[in-house]
Amino acid sequence: MPESTSEQLTIAMIEQRLLDFLVERTKIEWEVGQDLFESGVLSSLFAMELVVFVEKAFDVSIEREDLALANFRTVRAMTDLVLRLGKAADA
Amino acid sequence: MREDLPVIVTEAVGDAAGRWDLAGEIPLDLLRGLGGKGLLCPEIATQFGGLGLTGRECGELTAHVGSLCSSLRSVMTSQGMGAWTIWRLGDRTQREHYLRRLTAGELAAVAFSEPDAGSDLSAMSTRIREDGDTLVVDGVKTWITASVYADLLVVFGRYGDGGAAVIVPATSPGVRRDPAQSPMGCRAAGHATVTLDAVRVPRTNLLGAAGQSLAMLTTIALTCGRLSVAWGCVGILRACLAAAAAHARDRRQFGVPIARHQLVARHLAELYVAERTATLACERASDCWDAGSPDQFTGAVLAKLVASRAAAQGAATAVQVLASAGAQDGHVVARAYRDAKLMEIIEGSNEVSQLILADRVMGVGG
Ligand SMILES: Cc1cc2nc3c(=O)[nH]c(=O)nc-3n(C[C@H](O)[C@H](O)[C@H](O)COP(=O)(O)OP(=O)(O)OC[C@H]3O[C@@H](n4cnc5c(N)ncnc54)[C@H](O)[C@@H]3O)c2cc1C
Repeated sequence: MPESTSEQLTIAMIEQRLLDFLVERTKIEWEVGQDLFESGVLSSLFAMELVVFVEKAFDVSIEREDLALANFRTVRAMTDLVLRLGKAADA
Repeated sequence: MREDLPVIVTEAVGDAAGRWDLAGEIPLDLLRGLGGKGLLCPEIATQFGGLGLTGRECGELTAHVGSLCSSLRSVMTSQGMGAWTIWRLGDRTQREHYLRRLTAGELAAVAFSEPDAGSDLSAMSTRIREDGDTLVVDGVKTWITASVYADLLVVFGRYGDGGAAVIVPATSPGVRRDPAQSPMGCRAAGHATVTLDAVRVPRTNLLGAAGQSLAMLTTIALTCGRLSVAWGCVGILRACLAAAAAHARDRRQFGVPIARHQLVARHLAELYVAERTATLACERASDCWDAGSPDQFTGAVLAKLVASRAAAQGAATAVQVLASAGAQDGHVVARAYRDAKLMEIIEGSNEVSQLILADRVMGVGG
């Protein structure tokens, strides 16, 4: 069986990389279930930064319906997306 | 980048840019010819008939086009933005079908702005709705660059409770194009108000999917457009610098070439600083784009703000140096003066750009 990124990357590792990026960019700490956009302070520009960060950091392509804000609202949602796209790439 | 690419554009433009400015039109055949060589959206991959340039190379070519004619560069910006939007939001079939057309001589325009939605695109009211297996588009789009020439309109609008873009053939029943009367600058770029009255297109023309955020989708297209406008401003500055330097060398007053007067020399230095500063901001932003860095989004805003302000100031300086020799519509510095000012307005005005950059400074916690 080929080695797959999704098997190597644990949920905890993905979450940590996302949390590190968030703290670096927003200068505050976030919880994995916290809605990043609810306060209205983070912009659509920032949502796109998250898209390309996730693409690059986890070597996935985010296309079509996956480019939805709902997939980037929380660290948990982004983690699910990474796992799902990682699996799809291995299949 | 292939060395012949800028040469092809230089030869196609020849000495016609001033005449196009006065006539308010670029010959359609010429646009189709350049488009058919892939030159109007040079970043598109070779597998779709494009030239496969990197963002940085595309930027340099855009600056070259901008140094010759900002109207042609504006058409290139629209084509590039349309193609990029199709590439980023389209599925495999749409990419294959439409990108091939945009590298084979067909032309594209991209429509966000509306009478009541300029800086505030969240006020957009154009609607895309489903009716069986067709989509129905209703709305009014203003100042749409290249729409007079375009075969395909990439129209952004509301879709369900989110947003989408849809590809509308410009000759579809219900599409009306009213050319902008006497635009102040980029006069031959083919701006028009586009009215879409119950325009029906197949469902397969939808770019994107249900549940997407309109703001995210427009950010995708605008980032590409901002880079293109910014590089176009670098081109304006290069043309102004060359014209000012040549004039300062040749024109004599008070017994010496005017370059020998220190106040004129300062103008030349300022123009050089403007050109270098804008170039560096653009190079940095394009490198972020090519690297897939998250900084590409604010980088593009920064480059566009820096380059358009530098171009507006630099063009005014160049007119000052040429004085009466440049004070005629169609002249390179006269065009630059009018064209550059508009670059401070489009794709996010100076003020909107500043708000975005202030957000970046503040992060969330400040
Ligand atoms: C030459 C040209 C080409 C164009 N091409 C296209 C095209 O191809 N496609 C397209 O969709 N549109 C196009 N446009 C439209 C362009 O995008 C809009 O003109 C632009 O977004 C600004 O909108 P507005 O003109 O309605 O100005 P407004 O939004 O009415 O702004 C007026 C002034 O108020 C300022 N302002 C607004 N809101 C704020 C705020 N929150 N804080 C501080 N200042 C603010 C603005 O910066 C500006 O100075 C083009 C326009 C021009 C002039």
